[in-house]
Amino acid sequence: MEIWRLPISASQRGKLISAGYTSLSSLSSISSSDLARELKVSESEAMNILKVASHSRGSETSNASCSIVEGAQSAWDMLHDEESLMHITTSSADLDNILGGGIHCKEVTEIGWSSLSLIVNSVLKYKLTTAFGSESIIFMLIGGVPGIGKTQLGIQIAVNVQIPNDFGGLGGKAIYIDTEGSFMVERAFQIAEACIEDMSEYNRFLRKDFQECKIKMLPQDILENIFYFRICSYTEQIALINYLDKFLSEHKDVDMSLWSQVKVIVVDSVTFHFRQDFDDMALRTRVLSGMALKLMNLAKRFSLAVILLNQVTTKHTEASFQLALALGDSWSHTCTNRIVLYWNGNERYAYIDKSPSLRSASAAYSVTARGIRNSSSSCKRIKMM
Amino acid sequence: MTPQSLLQLTSQKCTTGCPILDRLLYGGIPCDSITEIVAESGSGKTQICLQLSLHAQLPVSHGGLAASSLYLHTEFPFPFRRLHQLCLSFRSSNAHHFPVNDNPCDRIFVQSVHTADHLLEIMSKTDPFIENSKNQVPVRLIVIDSIAALFRSDFDNTPVELKRRSSLFFKISSKLKALAKRFNLAVLVTNQVVDLVGPNEGINGLRIGNLVCLHTSGRRVCPALGLAWANCVNSRLFLSRNEEVIREENEKSNGQSCDFVKKKMRKLYVVFAPHLPESSCEFEITREGLFGVER
Repeated sequence: MEIWRLPISASQRGKLISAGYTSLSSLSSISSSDLARELKVSESEAMNILKVASHSRGSETSNASCSIVEGAQSAWDMLHDEESLMHITTSSADLDNILGGGIHCKEVTEIGWSSLSLIVNSVLKYKLTTAFGSESIIFMLIGGVPGIGKTQLGIQIAVNVQIPNDFGGLGGKAIYIDTEGSFMVERAFQIAEACIEDMSEYNRFLRKDFQECKIKMLPQDILENIFYFRICSYTEQIALINYLDKFLSEHKDVDMSLWSQVKVIVVDSVTFHFRQDFDDMALRTRVLSGMALKLMNLAKRFSLAVILLNQVTTKHTEASFQLALALGDSWSHTCTNRIVLYWNGNERYAYIDKSPSLRSASAAYSVTARGIRNSSSSCKRIKMM
Repeated sequence: MTPQSLLQLTSQKCTTGCPILDRLLYGGIPCDSITEIVAESGSGKTQICLQLSLHAQLPVSHGGLAASSLYLHTEFPFPFRRLHQLCLSFRSSNAHHFPVNDNPCDRIFVQSVHTADHLLEIMSKTDPFIENSKNQVPVRLIVIDSIAALFRSDFDNTPVELKRRSSLFFKISSKLKALAKRFNLAVLVTNQVVDLVGPNEGINGLRIGNLVCLHTSGRRVCPALGLAWANCVNSRLFLSRNEEVIREENEKSNGQSCDFVKKKMRKLYVVFAPHLPESSCEFEITREGLFGVER
């Protein structure tokens, strides 16, 4: 689309063209203050121009690409997007804090509930942009020894993604892929019940007018919104991930309302079936990277988050030993975010091992009857590195 | 591929035969999952296995699975006499569930296993076996007592062999889980312990589960087969055995010697499980079986 088609005044148009802006794409990557400076107009005028330009751009997305690089977005726009993005809470305020908590998290801690962090804070931060777009992909690997709470965290995320928008949640559904058989329905029910109780408690404190929201949700509803797949071999795992594309598109078509889409895929655990004897290790690497790519594509296409739970193994380096994520270094590197869960004394800690956008930090959490919650110790828990 | 409806998915449990233990385990040993019992020898692993094989035959309304069981044993000899003893007491306390001339031992299929490869072979034959058993009393419980014995001697301590051993763990576990899923079986596996020598750091300090350290008979132990096998099981229970002094008794009036009355203190701990909190309870082993003790 050309500038001369924009519904702006002739003088503005003239200024744009003489400043060198001839196509919409050139306007897509400039901020209003820079534009104001270049055109020597007021900032509000520049903002108006940009608004009109983006409207026209938006209405034309069905046509052939109007910019050289389709889907390109400036870093500025991305920042705006990030600030408005919705997050999935882990229900532990400390854990949420290190994973990119914001104002909401502070609100909760000021009120003083250590056990509730309703307001949705990101477990999954937006990931790297691809070369062609700023599509944000949430892709996270969580590793830990048996018994540290990986499955508990997976179930908690599958429940928390369903927190309705009125409570600051995503109101989405979850896909839970169980490869090990660790998913216990009664435990999921317990966690769902506790989540609903926490929501109604929050309701009572803050908003007295959303009575209907509280009553509508039952633990059974939460369980219904978790699509549970159980798989028993690595071929089934690959087949399922290939099938998810079709499943998600069908699901999307059936229910067009934005707030009942699948928003997260949890795989528990992604490593189990790959640790058997593969006659050909190169095959395993190929299969794994293919699977990671497919998951990333799913995340991108359907704007959902992918959480992979990983086992750990020991790596003997010289005399000492170290815990490393199973399936090798190349697998660990496919995921841009890594969180490691570990024991520190008697406490469970989560440590951000690698993330392009989050600072290295560790936070304590605990696994209670109600699910994942803040650790009960009173000392300063979040340690920034 | 369709997702399973969680509301229709109920995890069935097999009662252990003791209400106190059942309460600790939230109903008993769950189906469609592998439960591991870790203990040193003489702690009661085999007792629990035998007891469970008998109680699996109870009707579902009484906490059982109305099923027969497959008992794979690796340590010889199989305790036939103890099984018979337990069977008698089981029958007398549950007479109304079974016809008069019935022998619950008929519904426990025993098979000895010699090596890990032998186990894999048996498991491939188990599929049709369980399928056929559906006509009479279906098999719903598999017990492997003990898995550690299969791996303790066959493998050298070189990285290549250890890697082969690890991949065997995952293969076996994967097959067991597939069987458990397909036929909704409960799988119970027992494991041995190894002593921890040296300071509590490095690999010795690796904590898996709720307990910082497992203690039995006054020493620090850790489950055999390592981290790889720990990743293969869904739940782990630990039985400990300790000698406890409960009171002193002065026999001689000149105070020369005093006898300590010692008692065996047995405890069952939940090391990790997806549905159980950290908990423990005391139990005792009697002629009738293994029962929890409420203190």
